[in-house]
Parts: sequence; structure tokens; C-alpha cells
Amino acid sequence: MHGMTELANDLREVQAPVLAAMLLGGCATKFSRVLRAGSLEAGLGPTELFPLPLRRPAAMLVCAVECALGIALTVTAPAAARNGTGALDGAAADGARIAATAFFLVAMSALIELRGRRPDVGCGCFGDLSVRPVGARSIARSALLAVAALASIGGPGLQLPPPDPGAGVLLTCLCAEFLVIALLSPEVGETLVRLGYAEPCELRNIPVRHTLAALHRSSHWHRQAGVITSDVPADMWRELCWRYVAYPGRLNGAVADVVFAVQMKQRRPVIRSAVVPRETAAVPGETRAPGAGKAGVDLPPGVVRLSAMPISKAL
Amino acid sequence: MFDQSGDLACCAGCTGSGTAELIARRRLLKAAVFGPSDRPGRARAADWAAPPHGRAMYPGGVLTGTVVDASPHILAIRRADREERLTMMPSTKAWRGGQVDPTALRAGDRVVVRLDPSRRGVAERVWANISRVTGVIVERDRASIVVDVGKMRGRRVVVIPRRAESRIQVRFPRLEPGYLIDVIGLRHGGIIEGLIPATSQPAYGADQVPRPPQTLGPALDRIGGSATWHEPASEPDDVEGVAYPLLDPETGCADEPSRGLGCVRMPYLSVGSLLKVRNECTGGSRVLPVTGCAAVARLFCDRCVTCGTSPRGRVADLALASFVALGGDLERGCFNATITVGR
Repeated sequence: MHGMTELANDLREVQAPVLAAMLLGGCATKFSRVLRAGSLEAGLGPTELFPLPLRRPAAMLVCAVECALGIALTVTAPAAARNGTGALDGAAADGARIAATAFFLVAMSALIELRGRRPDVGCGCFGDLSVRPVGARSIARSALLAVAALASIGGPGLQLPPPDPGAGVLLTCLCAEFLVIALLSPEVGETLVRLGYAEPCELRNIPVRHTLAALHRSSHWHRQAGVITSDVPADMWRELCWRYVAYPGRLNGAVADVVFAVQMKQRRPVIRSAVVPRETAAVPGETRAPGAGKAGVDLPPGVVRLSAMPISKAL
Repeated sequence: MFDQSGDLACCAGCTGSGTAELIARRRLLKAAVFGPSDRPGRARAADWAAPPHGRAMYPGGVLTGTVVDASPHILAIRRADREERLTMMPSTKAWRGGQVDPTALRAGDRVVVRLDPSRRGVAERVWANISRVTGVIVERDRASIVVDVGKMRGRRVVVIPRRAESRIQVRFPRLEPGYLIDVIGLRHGGIIEGLIPATSQPAYGADQVPRPPQTLGPALDRIGGSATWHEPASEPDDVEGVAYPLLDPETGCADEPSRGLGCVRMPYLSVGSLLKVRNECTGGSRVLPVTGCAAVARLFCDRCVTCGTSPRGRVADLALASFVALGGDLERGCFNATITVGR
């Protein structure tokens, strides 16, 4: 029984730094968003509930309160400050914790209100990371933090636990608390997505001149040179990871299009090509070429598939 | 035809027969080098090979035209080549600046009619003289607001009547040059009477669009967001298609108000690419060709709340007829949508 009381006291003791970390983290991410957007008015969650002239001061106030509470909880957390007699005494520590409780309760109410009135707006709790619409998880997290702040009022000062099995139990409980907070934080998923980011080829922006240079050096280009009648493309377009370039041509005396597909890749792009006689300008899928479908793919009538050449040595 | 610098000389925002030919030609050429493929998790190849109509939510389709006569039971409308007579049922809803009785429709009104899918020749919904202005405010005086809706579509003048003033200003508090506007209203010749805010005004100016969130890997096949509608610029109202927010910047968007990426990570496409657009509110979906760029749609990082809350950003700006055919209600301005990009 005594052990449980001790554990509860130890847990109350560590709530102040946990809350301070959350508050300072929230303040820092909001500030970073403001720096990137160049404006304080770039939609910081519950400030959307205020009339337009009040949004900027409200955003500044929220940020300032988070910063002040975070600092206050940090400096009043150690046992020396908690038991001190100067400006940092037990009353100051409790004052900071009461203020933090009130802050999280107000935040929870604001999120409930925001969810009802603007279901499309994110909570903005952690700046750009909190863009998902406010859900039950964000509200539950505010409630949990309010309970944590409430529990820390009157708690002992923070000190290093003695190296005994009790320390292990405390550490496990602390990890469990962080895990619960993480589960209640939609921002964790957003952070993981950002950390693992690599630009997919669908989003890669490669200049046309680079595409044309790669094409002109390829063996496909040299193979079709006799069919192509103009150096200027008749059409050029992009779909996902491929840029298509069509040139006017002449095949066995008939007008034709020579089409190349060039992969959107900086080095060694895959290049494919085909010659399409002009008189067959039908929509694919309406008719089928005789004998087509050998490889499971039907070709439009009149389409001549050239030999496959998956890797170009153009670059 | 391309000029020496590689710029597309033909306009990429038009939806005329020239663009239809361009779309057909590009599909043919693409099929020549690749042919459709069936890959797990992607739309079926047959969907992309088929002409861009797909499975319509309303087999009866969408009719557009000019009202010749409206009675409690019959609506006669003149289309380009003939006159259509549609049956009006007690359940038929009509909009003309607000919900009205179908008899309030007047001869000369330009209407969009969604037919009842279960009864032939029966009108389910009718919208008269509806119009929409989405763009950047460039001028404002006491009487009107001039809006830049893109280089290809020019500028449009919006007048906000006193009865709609507070409704608009609650959602668009900054009716000042440089800020965005999106209102739905009644068309009076070249002037739009703005009556309904189509969204909430973004807090940022048109030149301060947030960057899109970064995504992990190439998971860009299905993109959720808001689907909106626009009026075809110089074509009949029944032209189908979708304006796509992110055309290839190297070869494509004449309608370019900004070079930013917008607030949704989307793959680059071109005029002629096919998109499967699904209305998450009705379950209806159609495969539509990209007929132009939705440069202005890129500036809006809003969400659609027609049914639940959509992911942030506009993923498709549908032609008016396509929006209605997919089950969207024009006066609502959007529906929650998922687009699937054809491979």
C-alpha cells in the first residue's frame, strides 16, 4: 500500500515536466508555422472562432500563455524550487499547475466548440502538424492533460528517484502515459509521414529541355529518325511519371505520328516509342487491331509496336 | 502544335471540338506505347479505355437549355437543336436564387435539369440562371466586385444585393483586392448577383497559399478532397469534363494565376488524362477527361462538408453538367470526392 502511494506521488511529481514539454512543443510548432506562413492569421485552430479583428491577438495570446506556462512549470518543478522560500516556492508551483489545469480545460471546451461550429478546421495545437479536423482524440488529449495538471497540484517537487525497482515501475508508468498521449495525438501520424518523405516521380518537375535532350540522345530517337519529318514536336504532354512527345512523321508514304514516352527521371530514363499512322485516329477501346492481344494488351488499329527497350542509355 | 520553346500554342483551357480531338489523339498515342494495364488497387483498364462517360449516376442524364414554357406539370426547354418537354412532379425541386415553386421559372431562363433516374422524362431537380464566381478579387467599389477568374476566363463582375450582404460577409469578411472569393448566385447577362457563399474565405491572400502537406511515397492513386463546379467558358452548359488543379507546368496551364503547388499533393497530369471522380456522398462515380486547368481551385485549401468532412483542398473542378450528373447539388457548391488517376 505504501508502495502504491509512493508511486502515485512519483507520478504526480513528473506531471509538471510532461505538461511543460507539451506546452513548449505546442508553442514552438505554432511559432514555426507563423514564421513559414509569414502571418499570425494563418488559421490557428480555435482562433477561427473569433471575429476577424480578434484572431491575431487571440493567436498571440495562446502562444504567449503556452510559453509562459511551460516555463513556469519547468522552473517550479524541481524539489528545490517547490520547497523554496523565495519567489519560487510551493505557492508559485501550485499557481502554475492551477493555471495549466485551467488552460487545458479551456482548450478542451474550445475544441468541442470548434468541432461543432467549424468541423473542417484542424485544432492547430501543434501548428502545421495539426491540420486534421478536430476529433474525439484531440478533445480527449486535452482532457487527459487537464487531469494530469489537476493531479500535479500540491504534488511533491521533482527529484531523481533512487536506483531501486520502484524507479523501473515509475519509468514504465511514464512511458505508458506518453504512449496514451501519442495515441490521442493525430499529429504523430503526420510527423511519421513527413519524416519518411521522398518525392515520388508523379510530383517530380523535370524541364522539357531535359526530357528532349534525353530523348534526342536515345537509340529510340535514332531508330525513328527516318520516319520523323520535323524536329519540332507536334504535341507534348505529361501524365504521372511519363512525358509524351509526339512528332509528325511519314511511314510508307502515309502521314503518321511518332510518339515517345520518356520517364520522369533525372538519370537514365526509360524511353518507349511507337509509330501511329494518322488515318487511324480512332478512340482506343472502340475497335481492336487484328491479331492484337498477344501479350495480353490490345493495340488500337494501325498501331505498330516497336521492339521493347526498357532502359535507355541516353544519359 | 508546339512552338520552338515547347509551349503549348493551343489553349489548354478550352473544351471545344479541337480539345476533344486532342484528347482522343493523346489517348490513342498513349495506348500505342503502353496500352492499358490492370494493376491491383487501381481503376480497371476497361474504365480508362472506354470513352469518357462511364457509369452515370443518372442514366437519364442532365439536360441544359432555355425555358420556353413552365407550367405546374410540364417544363418545355429549348436545346441547341430541338425542344424537350419534361414532366414536373410534386417532388420536383427548383432553384432560382433559392428554392422556388417550379412555376416560378420564366421563359428565357437558362436551366440545368437533372432527370429522375427511375422515371423517363421526369425532372428531379431544376436550377435556373445559376452561376458561380470563383477567383481573386481585383477591384471593389460600392456597387460591385470585379473578380479575376483566370486568364482564360477573364474577369467577372459580382453584385451582392443587400438581402445577401450579411450572409456573404459572415463567410467572406475580406472583400478586398488580393483576397479570394467564391460565391454562387443568379446570372443577369454578364453580371452575377452573389447570393450564397460557396465556402468560407481563406484567411490568407491569393499569393500566400499554404504549401501542400508532404506525403510518403507514391501513394497518389486515390486523392480525397472537395469537388467543385464551374461554368464552361465559351461552350454549351452540357459540356462534360473536369478541370484539374495541377497540370504539367512545362506544357500546360494557360490559366495560371500562381506558380504555387496549391495545398493538395497531386500528380502532374495534362489535358486528355482520365480521372475517375467519385461522389462520396452519393456513391456515384464517372470517368471524365481532363479538359483544362483549375488554377484558381489550387488556391483554396478548404474542405467540403456536404456529407462529413472531406480532406483539405479541391481535387477536381467539374464542368457544371458533370457535377450534376454525379449527383451534386449546384447551390451547395461542392461534394466530398475521391479522384482516381488512370495509369
